Amino acid sequence: MDVVEIISHHILDHDWGITLGGFRLPITTHTVTLFAVSLVLLFGLHWISLGRKSRTGRLLTTLSEEYVAFIRDGMVLPNMGEEGRRFLPYFCTLFLFVLFCALAGLIPNVKTATSNISVTAALALCSGGLILYCGLKFHGFIGFLKGFVPSGTPGWLVPLLFPLEVLSLIIKVCVLAIRLFANMLSGHMVLICLLLIIFIVGQMHIAAGAGAFLPAMALELFMTCLELLVAFLQAYVFTLLTSIFAGSVIHTH
Amino acid sequence: MALGPFSKQDHLQITTLGLEFAVSEILGVWAGFWADKKLGSFPWGVIAGAAAGFALGFYQILRASRQMTLDNAKLKKAEHTDGRR
Repeated sequence: MDVVEIISHHILDHDWGITLGGFRLPITTHTVTLFAVSLVLLFGLHWISLGRKSRTGRLLTTLSEEYVAFIRDGMVLPNMGEEGRRFLPYFCTLFLFVLFCALAGLIPNVKTATSNISVTAALALCSGGLILYCGLKFHGFIGFLKGFVPSGTPGWLVPLLFPLEVLSLIIKVCVLAIRLFANMLSGHMVLICLLLIIFIVGQMHIAAGAGAFLPAMALELFMTCLELLVAFLQAYVFTLLTSIFAGSVIHTH
Repeated sequence: MALGPFSKQDHLQITTLGLEFAVSEILGVWAGFWADKKLGSFPWGVIAGAAAGFALGFYQILRASRQMTLDNAKLKKAEHTDGRR
């Protein structure tokens, strides 16, 4: 049994794309998951927005209203102030998208798209774009650049501090991507490793493998529950950090 | 919800600082390695890059702590003015 190959198969993306007229169309497990999650959210939220009179429709409408209020009052307004109200749709979308991508990974045979660094980097770039837009929108180009230098900085320190501050912002965006990617990837690696314990021990002796079954499955169940928590937590952290960074650009010191 | 002297946002930013430090260091070493390959000056570029990455990471920690202290002082002042404390 090749453990490395099994883990790689579980973690890595699989490309069964097609080439059309010399142009490669990469259809991978992660892109399929991304499209599926997007479609589910698009049609699901559209269905909720129709405001059905059925009991389920009313329940989902109430839930979605509570959800929007949670994002608005818990993240956007405290960190970005009234200026952040116009960006509320972005934060609502971001939270749900990250959450559903992570939850989709818990369904058997579906991959976690956010365990791919390209996906998290794209999400972080969107957040970086929002941060940049907020800075330019509320302070103008010169004001945005001035905001990089802390108030009260002596003039001779400005050439040193300015690149440091710009690099800090770039690093913050990189950290957003790496944090989500690392958390999602590590969770799934732990899940597959726990399952492999049974087979690795079973190779030594079949009775040992049978003995390892129950503890391994108990741990697997515990880790799956933890993954469920991590899915919510990482969606929350990603959205909250984006709002904090955008707020720090709007309300410069 | 205030957690000790820090807010929820501060706590989240504190947990991010470690990762920011690591990314700064990695970026610094990578830039130094790249410069070494271009200039053939191994290992001085890597050493300079590591030092610069360390400085950047440390600067981020200092700036975050200064910002949190200032925010905390502002909050206390506002609460004192409002008569909440």
